[in-house]
Amino acid sequence: MDSLSLCLRSFTVIGRGLLPIGAEVEETLKRIQGQKGVQGIIIVNSEGIPIKTTLDNASTMQYAGLLHQLVMKARSTVRDIDPQNDLTFMRVRSKKNEIMIAPDKDYFLIVIQNPSD
Amino acid sequence: MFTDEALDSVEIESLWRKSQQAAQESRGCQTRAVHITEAEVQTVSTSSSWTQTEEPQHQDTEQLLQQNQDDPDPPGLKDFLQRVEDSVIRELVRNARSHAFDGFQVNWEEHNNRVSCLHCLQHPSAQERGLHVTSVSWSCTGSVIACAYGRIDEGDWSTENSYVCTWNLNRQSLNPNQADLVIDVPTTVTALCCHPNQPALIAGGLYTGEVVVWDTSQTQDPVLVQTGMSADSHREPVYQVSWVPLQKKGEFGVLSASSRGQVLLWTVDSDQNAFVLNAAYAFVRQQVPHSSSFKVRGSSTVGVTSLALSPWDSDTFLVGSEGGLLLRCSFSAQTPAAVPSEGQSVTPRAPAVFSFRPRRGPVHSIHCSPFHRNLFVSTGTDGLAHLHSLLQVDPLLSLRVSDSYVFQVQWSPTRPLVFAAATGQGEVQIFDLGRRSLRPAATIEEGGAGHAATCLSFNHQNPRQLAVGKTNGTVAVWQLSTELTEQNPRESSQLEQIANQVAE
Repeated sequence: MDSLSLCLRSFTVIGRGLLPIGAEVEETLKRIQGQKGVQGIIIVNSEGIPIKTTLDNASTMQYAGLLHQLVMKARSTVRDIDPQNDLTFMRVRSKKNEIMIAPDKDYFLIVIQNPSD
Repeated sequence: MFTDEALDSVEIESLWRKSQQAAQESRGCQTRAVHITEAEVQTVSTSSSWTQTEEPQHQDTEQLLQQNQDDPDPPGLKDFLQRVEDSVIRELVRNARSHAFDGFQVNWEEHNNRVSCLHCLQHPSAQERGLHVTSVSWSCTGSVIACAYGRIDEGDWSTENSYVCTWNLNRQSLNPNQADLVIDVPTTVTALCCHPNQPALIAGGLYTGEVVVWDTSQTQDPVLVQTGMSADSHREPVYQVSWVPLQKKGEFGVLSASSRGQVLLWTVDSDQNAFVLNAAYAFVRQQVPHSSSFKVRGSSTVGVTSLALSPWDSDTFLVGSEGGLLLRCSFSAQTPAAVPSEGQSVTPRAPAVFSFRPRRGPVHSIHCSPFHRNLFVSTGTDGLAHLHSLLQVDPLLSLRVSDSYVFQVQWSPTRPLVFAAATGQGEVQIFDLGRRSLRPAATIEEGGAGHAATCLSFNHQNPRQLAVGKTNGTVAVWQLSTELTEQNPRESSQLEQIANQVAE
């Protein structure tokens, strides 16, 4: 049984390595989209321009523009209070849904989830 | 002794002159010849072109995102996703399971449990003559309310003049007994509608069948355009006017419906300051589509008493008739109407596409839901409010609003499940479809029963305000409670469920 699981594990490692580069990103997004209640995912680059999205164009542009500014403001707030500190994650909870933002140097990942769905 | 002697002369050469001459030199030079050529050019063909920028709205929505699978992903995207994926999924799962926010509510605004009357507006000369309020309309800014006076119970041709009054409710100097602007109109005004973009324009329909647009910014003569008594215009009272967006963006036309079975679409020709008939639709009994489950009876003309535009589909409009018919019509219908030609400039077409179950009595009001593309509510003289889906013949729900006539019904602009109805007994009943019981969620009654409430209108800019006009010539502006105006998170899905029911 051990050897079997060992075989399987190595198979998936090899399997992953053979995927073309673009598909790995799509796989990750699919995994996130498959979580309970997720309504949409947007990836925004450091200038606030969306590069990948699962929503329609108009909503994407709206979310990207508004949230980019919000994240920048939140980050500067955290760093003003303590310059050694930095923003790691941001959640905006509203009546109808929750927006989660994972910031990074080059990109932001925005996920919109309705937890009660 | 003395002798002549001749001596030789001695010469001394001038050294000065030699030294000068020795320093003198002369040189000359000449440039090479310069090459020159000449040539001429003449254009034999010309072309010119010009460009024009489009309106800014287009650019936002047309900006394409690079979703091409063949393009390589931007550098670092894969690594970024690998870094954040786990933490994001962890948060998502935790959020889905968490009960931390169950029942947590935030009050951003003051919670108001009461419905109160803000203003009670009246026009003294209209009240002296006992005129009724026939129509109210809020302007697009939400601060001005326009009211039309007339009579609703006139049977025969009326020649008394009436008024259209406007009040600006946000002014400090608001005097409820004196209107900010009074427009004298030669006959009874039966319908009124404010322009959706320009706050100064008001369209009205008169008892004589004329359609007028008033420009309230012109103090001299507010009438901007008017249809005369031409072959094109209506001959019967105009019961409804609406501003309709036209093909060209930003332009609006006026749609008017009269009880002779005609619905006409007018455009304002600003050069000649006149109305131009753009399209005409006529209803004839024989051309009304009817399903086999019910027969349509009655006279051959279908008098139109109410009209509703669908905010979701610019091609659809709904029509209610004197005989109780409810029809769904299309602007782009092509079949010509079977009416005798009366020298109109545009051939009338028969727009009716689908017929809903007819009512017993004239349909006074129809309104399409602003939250669901298939729902609309209609009321008439039978005192019931029917909730219909555009896809089904039978109503989804029938609510008893009052024992007498119901004159107008309108959906709330903020709560998908709420609509208000103005009844002949003078009350305004507000229904909330989210409640289990079929009784109204609120009843607004201003003392003095016996005066029918003839019209009502929600203020779209300030959705807590509701204006109600009554037959005693007063217009009351009510402020609704928070419960009736704040949307619940689940309302849209509840509305969707109601719309998806199949009528029995």
